[in-house]
Amino acid sequence: MIDLLTSRVMGDIFLGVTQGVLYGLIGLSLVIVWQSTNILNFAQGAMAMFATYVGMTLLEHGLNYWACLAISVAAGFVLGGATERVLVRPLYGKPEINSIVVMVGFLGILEAGAIAIWGGTSRMIVSPFSLSYFQHNGKTIFLSPFAILQIAAAVTVMLIVAGLFRFTKLGLQLRAAALAPEVARLLGVRVNRLLTLGWALASAAGAVAAVVISSGFEGLTPTNMDVYFVFGFIAAAVGGLESPLGAVLAGVLIGMLQQFIVDYAPPSWASFSPVLILVVALMIRPQGLFSKQRVRRV
Amino acid sequence: MVSIKQFIANRPTSARALATLVATIALLGLAIIVDPLNDTYLATASIMAIAIVGLSLLIGLSGQVSIGNSGFMAIGAFTTAIWAQHHAHFPLLGSMALSVAVSTVAGIVLGLPSTRLRGPYLAGMTLAFAFAIPPFIQSLGTFAGGSGGLYFPTLQTPAWFASAIGEKDNPLAANNTWGAAIAIVVAAVAFFFMANFFHSRSGRAMRLVRDNDVAAELVGVNVARTRVLAFAISAAFAGLAGSLLAIIQSSVLPQTFGVALSIELLSLLVLGGLGTLGGAMIAGLIAAYSDSIVSRINSWTGIDPVSNLGGSLKGIIFGLILIATMLLAPSGLAGLGHRISRFVRSRVAQKKALSVSETP
Amino acid sequence: MNSQVPRLAFRSVSVEFGGLRALSDVSFDVSSGEIVGLIGPNGAGKTTAFNVACGFVAPTSGTVEFPDRGVTQPKPHDLASIGVARTLQGVGLFDHLTILENVMAGGQIRPGGGAFRGLLGLPSAGRSERQLTADALAALERLDVAEFAAKLPGSIPYGIAKKVSVARALMGSPTLLLLDEPASGLDERELDEFATLITSLKSDMGVLLVEHNMDFVMPLVDRLVVLNFGEVIASGTSSEVRSHPEVLAAYLGVEQ
Ligand SMILES: Nc1ncnc2c1ncn2[C@@H]1O[C@H](COP(=O)(O)OP(=O)(O)O)[C@@H](O)[C@H]1O
Ligand SMILES: [Mg+2]
Repeated sequence: MIDLLTSRVMGDIFLGVTQGVLYGLIGLSLVIVWQSTNILNFAQGAMAMFATYVGMTLLEHGLNYWACLAISVAAGFVLGGATERVLVRPLYGKPEINSIVVMVGFLGILEAGAIAIWGGTSRMIVSPFSLSYFQHNGKTIFLSPFAILQIAAAVTVMLIVAGLFRFTKLGLQLRAAALAPEVARLLGVRVNRLLTLGWALASAAGAVAAVVISSGFEGLTPTNMDVYFVFGFIAAAVGGLESPLGAVLAGVLIGMLQQFIVDYAPPSWASFSPVLILVVALMIRPQGLFSKQRVRRV
Repeated sequence: MVSIKQFIANRPTSARALATLVATIALLGLAIIVDPLNDTYLATASIMAIAIVGLSLLIGLSGQVSIGNSGFMAIGAFTTAIWAQHHAHFPLLGSMALSVAVSTVAGIVLGLPSTRLRGPYLAGMTLAFAFAIPPFIQSLGTFAGGSGGLYFPTLQTPAWFASAIGEKDNPLAANNTWGAAIAIVVAAVAFFFMANFFHSRSGRAMRLVRDNDVAAELVGVNVARTRVLAFAISAAFAGLAGSLLAIIQSSVLPQTFGVALSIELLSLLVLGGLGTLGGAMIAGLIAAYSDSIVSRINSWTGIDPVSNLGGSLKGIIFGLILIATMLLAPSGLAGLGHRISRFVRSRVAQKKALSVSETP
Repeated sequence: MNSQVPRLAFRSVSVEFGGLRALSDVSFDVSSGEIVGLIGPNGAGKTTAFNVACGFVAPTSGTVEFPDRGVTQPKPHDLASIGVARTLQGVGLFDHLTILENVMAGGQIRPGGGAFRGLLGLPSAGRSERQLTADALAALERLDVAEFAAKLPGSIPYGIAKKVSVARALMGSPTLLLLDEPASGLDERELDEFATLITSLKSDMGVLLVEHNMDFVMPLVDRLVVLNFGEVIASGTSSEVRSHPEVLAAYLGVEQ
């Protein structure tokens, strides 16, 4: 049993899952936003980054790790809601290009703004959990206490989202608000508030990912969430942009795939091979691997 | 006696060729007059305008949003650079043609999924492409220079050109002017072709697909092929721009062609005006002069240019402009100019009508 | 003219969406010189029949043929080249193109419109384009709506837009015209005009139309095909169909 845990394959799986849950979290945020407003939030990663920087700034004033995490997530929640109110609301009913351009512009502002305020160098939040891998009989198990926290955090967020979607009317209402806002309104759904809530939740979930990243090996820079956005988008798109669980599973798969490539192929392939997966996956199932077939209406 | 209007209506291509020729001569004259620094700005403006007008075709005409054209620029630039590395003498036109060919193929490959993807899926996929290209080029190893990029012999100014512009003794100035001249001529040719295409039936096919793909299919437009064609042409223009950039800078770095460049292209295009030739030209000029405009702003406001804020000011301004344009004036500067001229004309017409009605 | 060979033939066409049978063993044909009406209550499968004919939906079994051209189940973008034009439910115009350009779009498949020619701006492309412009103007004049040539579809009345969509369909000189609910949204006078227009077209082509408005359809068509729950329950002249008991029960009964 322990031998299996220290094997090369299991090592890759551990490392891959640890990384993949982060893609899954960003993918999950994208799915929530997509489901509630039919907008692809290109600034999802940058919003998470910004919220986490806010939390970090407070940490430097002596708050502890958990407080920082809570503040970052709260900042993400507020930022997401505010973004929907101010930037996104004027975009409803407008051509797709408008929302793409506005969100790309917001991405630019957040990243440049973060550099302006906090500088471009990497920052870390030191977590109370060790980053060093477990050892057994001189062999490494590629899991660390922090990696376990990371996976646990991601699973917790997913469970909360799934719970909200499944056991409250929220998921249904979000979908109704996105598909037929007028009808939803007639049915007594407070559509505006719901859309704001969707963005706020998504952004908070993204902030969890950014906090975790800032406690990892690389730390957080104003731009390194780009990577997570791209792979998170790939995860969400492969999963179908409609399926929260699909996004998470696809994220984990992408993380594992990258790890196997790093281990068994030229490591530089890891950063572009997911794009190939995306292209192939979308060619086979344009509506996403985990989404129901949609037909074209004439 | 044929009026100008009739000439334009009956011989549109000739009219466009004539306009292109006049503009080219004027710009070449300008390149010769201005100092070497402004020559590099003119070159940059021409190069960016080529890439932006290609993006304008894709987004404005065919309605497909790409955040991946920096990837095609990279492919064009590295094709030229790799070619220059392995051949002591390389013909300018030949390497540009090769870059265009390679990036067109890349455009077709990326365009194929576009036949099945819509809106945000497509935009996200092109973004992923832009993201993947620099590491892909780095992974090619020494062949493409790795992460250190490629350097190759500087552009050789022909002796006749240097003496013609009276800069025989000043090779640096002659070089800059020569570079600007090449970029201007290539951009002029590219814009001429694009102008033709915008007014052609194929160009209309793209607008049909953008507006209503079902109706487009019913009038015989092959929607899938049209979408891919838009990607191919857009990639060809981006590749040409990349090739020119490599030629003029005599070096290429993979990192210069990251997602940030794609975002810059998109911002400039939206600012200039989607789907118009004039908008792309304005956008090219803004691209070239944006750095000096920003440093001007820095000195006005007293912001230290090497501070965090000074360094990211351009990004903030671009982002703000992008959002403001989309929320307030979605047709960009070109559209704004159009609207103002229409407003003025309607005012003039009103005045005329008033004075006419007052006379009797 | 070989008016014996039908322009369009449905041969035992069935279409299933998941478990739902939208069309079930449907057979009928349309020849040149006749107007055939396809009627039936909501959800009967009329639009689906059009979509199968145009290649947007593949039949689960059976075939759609264009026997005069020897073509079976063409792709949507091949319809124009085999002389089939279709108008869409609503108006189906291109929102950001002028009315003139909208009509010019009907001549999209004429020779001389290739991408390379377009890029190079060859004289042949220019000539072809000028001819197209002239023909489009003529088509607008024929339908008496030339004054709207420079307008955008969003700024013209609905009835005019419908005419424009017909003008566009006629640009390709079709031999078969498929009209999806052409009368919806038109007022009395416009309905009369439309009926006259369609009647004037049938000497050159076969016309198949889907319509709800019985007062409009009955006097206009030469034959009717009645669908209910995806099945053809009756076909024949207006008067034959009108007295058909099953039709009365399934369809007219609902209205009267
Ligand atoms: N793309 C589709 N997917 C699933 N069901 C469809 C689709 N198109 C039509 N249907 C169903 O097929 C039946 C026939 O629809 P339709 O052809 O639109 O009827 P009509 O035009 O006569 O009102 C309806 O029950 C409709 O819901
Ligand atoms: Mg119908």
